[in-house]
Amino acid sequence: MTQNLYHNKTLQWLFYIIAFGFLGLVPLISDDEFLLNQLATYAVYGMLAVSISLCWGSGGILNMGQGIAFGLGAYCMAMTMQMQTQADGTIPPFMLNNGLDSLPLLWVPFQDTTTGIIMALVVPTAFYLIFGGIMFTARVSGPFFAIMTLATLSAFATIFVDLQAYTNGVNGISPPGSLNLGDMEIDPYSSGTYWFVFAMLLVCTFAAKLINQSRFGLIVRALKDDPERVRFLGYNVAVYETLVYTLSGLIAAIAGCCFAVLTQYVSPAQFNVGFSISIVIWAAIGGRNSLIWAMFGAFTVQGAQSYVGDQFLNTWILILGFSFILVVRFLPGGVAGFVETILDRFTKPEVEPDPVDLKISDAKEVAK
Amino acid sequence: MIGSFFKIDNIEKSFGGNKVINGFSLDVAENTLQCLIGPNGAGKTTTIDLISGRQKPDSGKVYLNGDDITGRGEHEISRLGIGRKFQIPAVLKGLTVRENLEVAYSREVNALRNMFSMKAKGCKEMLGEISEQVRLTKRLNVEAGLLSHGETQWLEIGMVLMQDPAILLLDEPVAGMTESEIGLTVDILNKLKRSHTIILVEHDMGFVRKIADVVTVLHMGAQLAQGSIEEIEKDPRVRAVYLGTEDAH
Repeated sequence: MTQNLYHNKTLQWLFYIIAFGFLGLVPLISDDEFLLNQLATYAVYGMLAVSISLCWGSGGILNMGQGIAFGLGAYCMAMTMQMQTQADGTIPPFMLNNGLDSLPLLWVPFQDTTTGIIMALVVPTAFYLIFGGIMFTARVSGPFFAIMTLATLSAFATIFVDLQAYTNGVNGISPPGSLNLGDMEIDPYSSGTYWFVFAMLLVCTFAAKLINQSRFGLIVRALKDDPERVRFLGYNVAVYETLVYTLSGLIAAIAGCCFAVLTQYVSPAQFNVGFSISIVIWAAIGGRNSLIWAMFGAFTVQGAQSYVGDQFLNTWILILGFSFILVVRFLPGGVAGFVETILDRFTKPEVEPDPVDLKISDAKEVAK
Repeated sequence: MIGSFFKIDNIEKSFGGNKVINGFSLDVAENTLQCLIGPNGAGKTTTIDLISGRQKPDSGKVYLNGDDITGRGEHEISRLGIGRKFQIPAVLKGLTVRENLEVAYSREVNALRNMFSMKAKGCKEMLGEISEQVRLTKRLNVEAGLLSHGETQWLEIGMVLMQDPAILLLDEPVAGMTESEIGLTVDILNKLKRSHTIILVEHDMGFVRKIADVVTVLHMGAQLAQGSIEEIEKDPRVRAVYLGTEDAH
């Protein structure tokens, strides 16, 4: 039976392995520390695109507030890093400026590095689980869910600006040192850190790919088509939706942690509405139905922004918006959809059902 | 009600003051094919909705094996063994025929366990058998959205078969089928009713005549008559409200 090569699972895995092999080799080609740090940041954006592909591409859950998990993860990580540099009993300087004289309860778990990192993963994931659970059991879906995520994201941005004594408001938190794990210092400008972030991207993408290919993934794709029908087959649709949304949140939280480690800076900009929407645009341009192409979308758009965008300044946003319109109009499946169509040309048509069979029995029926 | 396999007891349902189901009761024995007929607007599809959990009755009860299943969620009722085929064929259009059948094979519904399972046990064998039965063997890799109307009907019948429920609710399963396709459906249903209970909503009296064990006529949301097809066709009240308006042969 002839099948479009695009849908061949073995070839898909081969493509993933080759692409990731190439990405993993980058530090061997270049030892430019600034470049490695920048590429590692792109890997973070790649994770975010993968997380959107998982919930929007596979599950049809348009999530315009992925910055929630990203920002929460990044803040928790930055708080952990900040506390590592504090001598015992002292509190971060910005708290003193804001009239606090002892460490607030909110910061206490981050005194311990392990607890801090666990919090960075658990807090965003738990939030997604609860938020998703409430929304999906009430059957909130489609544009309504997208608006809810957007509104919640804005709320987070406002809260983090307003709680200045705890979050340093608009200025954000910039830990003076890099993250230490045991005796090891994670230098953000090193090939080791590049490989670490790259490994995180690899684990997230491959795990998401396996989830997509599991029975769970199949049911998630089915409920994107027609949740009602899937419900009548005995599946609790809300549980599936909540889980896929939470998993995408976990990936975004990991991305947030990596981001804080790489940039040693976190601010309410991570909760910026425009940023969360651009994650959706990366995935749309690359192809939301494919994890790896969504990731390429993030690399391409962010790469272009860094190298070309600087020359255009504010016009860049217009260019980005216009390319989004072009993709929606002419390439609804993004670049991945284009590749699929091209490969389709090389595919022999399926065997059509034998019409003779039906005609003969029809004739018999008429003869009666 | 103890002892009866499936029972609807005096259900009522109104939509905006309009009483669609008005004290309807039905008792279905195991392994029979029960037809629900009635003129347009009699409440046939609403009855199916009330059984399958899509709508909740205002009053009255639905029992399966003596257990009250009234007002439970769609997925719960489905897990108890009541499968449904929709009036407008509802298949998953973005998925291939094979994937549609795989989704319908819902032996394991736990989301976490499904995350760690790539293939459902026994699914492949059953898929081969059923795709043969509904004549879609050659179309397994085709996207369901590209199927013809007849094929879509077959696919949905195939999905209900994959689900293998104790009770099948079929809402106009032969609408839009050719004569030979209807003949095939009759064969499948006659085979199925040896081991399954079927509740079927239908307009086509010729089709009903070939398959029904018991026919119930719904009129204005209540039972007008019940009996074998011969009894129903002779019943003057039924002729007046329903058969009288159509050529009953």
